[in-house]
Amino acid sequence: MKEILRITVGLTISCILAGLVMGAVFTMTDKAKKHNEQMDFQETMLGVLGYSGSNPAPSDLKFHSVYRYIIRDQKARFLGYMVPVDRAGKETYELLVLDLEGKLKGHYDVDISPAAAMEMPQREEALKRVLNPPNVFTFADSFIVAMLGSKRLAYLMPGEFPGFKTFIRVMLAVDPHFKIKGLDIMEQEEDPGLGGEIAQDYFKNQFIDKSYDRIKSLKVIKKPLPADYRTYLEREKGERHMPTREQIEKTQKKYADSDIYALTGATISSRSMTRGIKNMVKKFAYRANILDHVIARGNIPVVF
Amino acid sequence: MKTTKSPSQLVLNGLLNENPIFRLALSMCPAVGISTTVMNGLMLGVAVLFVQVCSSCTIAIIKDYIHPRIRIPTYTLTIATWVTVIDLVLSAYAPVAYKAMGIFIKLIVAFAIITMRLEVFACKNTVTKSFWDGMGMGLGFMFGMVTLGCIRELLGMGTLLGHDVLGFRPLLFFALPLAGFFCVGFMMAVFNYVELVFNRRKEKRA
Repeated sequence: MKEILRITVGLTISCILAGLVMGAVFTMTDKAKKHNEQMDFQETMLGVLGYSGSNPAPSDLKFHSVYRYIIRDQKARFLGYMVPVDRAGKETYELLVLDLEGKLKGHYDVDISPAAAMEMPQREEALKRVLNPPNVFTFADSFIVAMLGSKRLAYLMPGEFPGFKTFIRVMLAVDPHFKIKGLDIMEQEEDPGLGGEIAQDYFKNQFIDKSYDRIKSLKVIKKPLPADYRTYLEREKGERHMPTREQIEKTQKKYADSDIYALTGATISSRSMTRGIKNMVKKFAYRANILDHVIARGNIPVVF
Repeated sequence: MKTTKSPSQLVLNGLLNENPIFRLALSMCPAVGISTTVMNGLMLGVAVLFVQVCSSCTIAIIKDYIHPRIRIPTYTLTIATWVTVIDLVLSAYAPVAYKAMGIFIKLIVAFAIITMRLEVFACKNTVTKSFWDGMGMGLGFMFGMVTLGCIRELLGMGTLLGHDVLGFRPLLFFALPLAGFFCVGFMMAVFNYVELVFNRRKEKRA
């Protein structure tokens, strides 16, 4: 009995000590970690828009986030879009509730600043004040509208879809006509050297500049990647001999409507990527059109 | 079983005589799964080295207070604590390195080699000795991972540290997990052969 007690006390003390150490380190590093994550996200967003250290973003480039929620009451399901609005010169949020046919059922003021809205718990706290039980809501996804001055430059979509092994997380940028502007793989665990090549320029850049109509019928072809197309796709890397501007334009035109060339030995990863991107763009285009329609009809003072 | 070896002997012991991967055949999962490139091997090696040294020292300090019946849970707890600390610190202050190493670090909790070194060495020896033993084992593991990474990256992808060396891919097979077993087996054979030759020479001299 004495032995058991001693073991219990010993284990408890070690657990408490370990917990204290981990807790202390967590409190010390949490702020820096969150800051890093935000910076990282920001950098990815600028990256897919084509801005980098050598090509800095203009100062009037602004990002506005829109959050999509699924709202349920006892009878039916609705869609809730949290959109940034301009209220007396101050940017705050409004919740648009749409039925499944895309008709506006109502809109509510959500008292939250854009910075606070980025944090999931604070956002949901603010939503709870607006949506009373029996309404329950679940977060679906978000997208970001990039504005250059008063013009819509692009929509940015963080998204994920299944790959060969596990989920592939990407950041996708499309222009207002849903043509792909940029694509970045944020997280993937495909086989290195095989499916892992999806993150390489010569594969992911194949998606860029594909128009919305082309994306709808995009498929994967199992043919070797033509050498001139590869040079074009990898032009930013600055290895191989650099193509001239004319060559770039020529190759771009030549392959503008081509399908996606599969990766050697990783057809499944190539197909998953193509399917994933296709779905993301198609669904987004559908939703964005409905949302724009609703905003225009309801005279919502959105900032984008 | 207190050791009488000097620091340099302890480090050499971990690198060659008792190399975790090639001689003790411990922590084979990461050795096979992650050693696809030199960089991966190096990253995991560094992380293991750090956790091994920290855990060895911690256990060497608190060894007199650990109840013998719960020593294994205590080891696991110690390792898990250090892994969490490294994970948090890296993600906060070295985001670039963390991006590359993130998935590997959390794996270390389950590494057999670290628990085994705590059980056979750190709980019987002084802090200084344990430090050097942890150093040796960590370096040995790193050495093993980098060697495997070199072989597999060069043969599988034709590159070294991401630079194109060969200009073509000799054997795609080496990039696959299966090839990890072949490489480990091959290296074990090399180590055994070297030992055999070494011992034979020793006998001849004697």
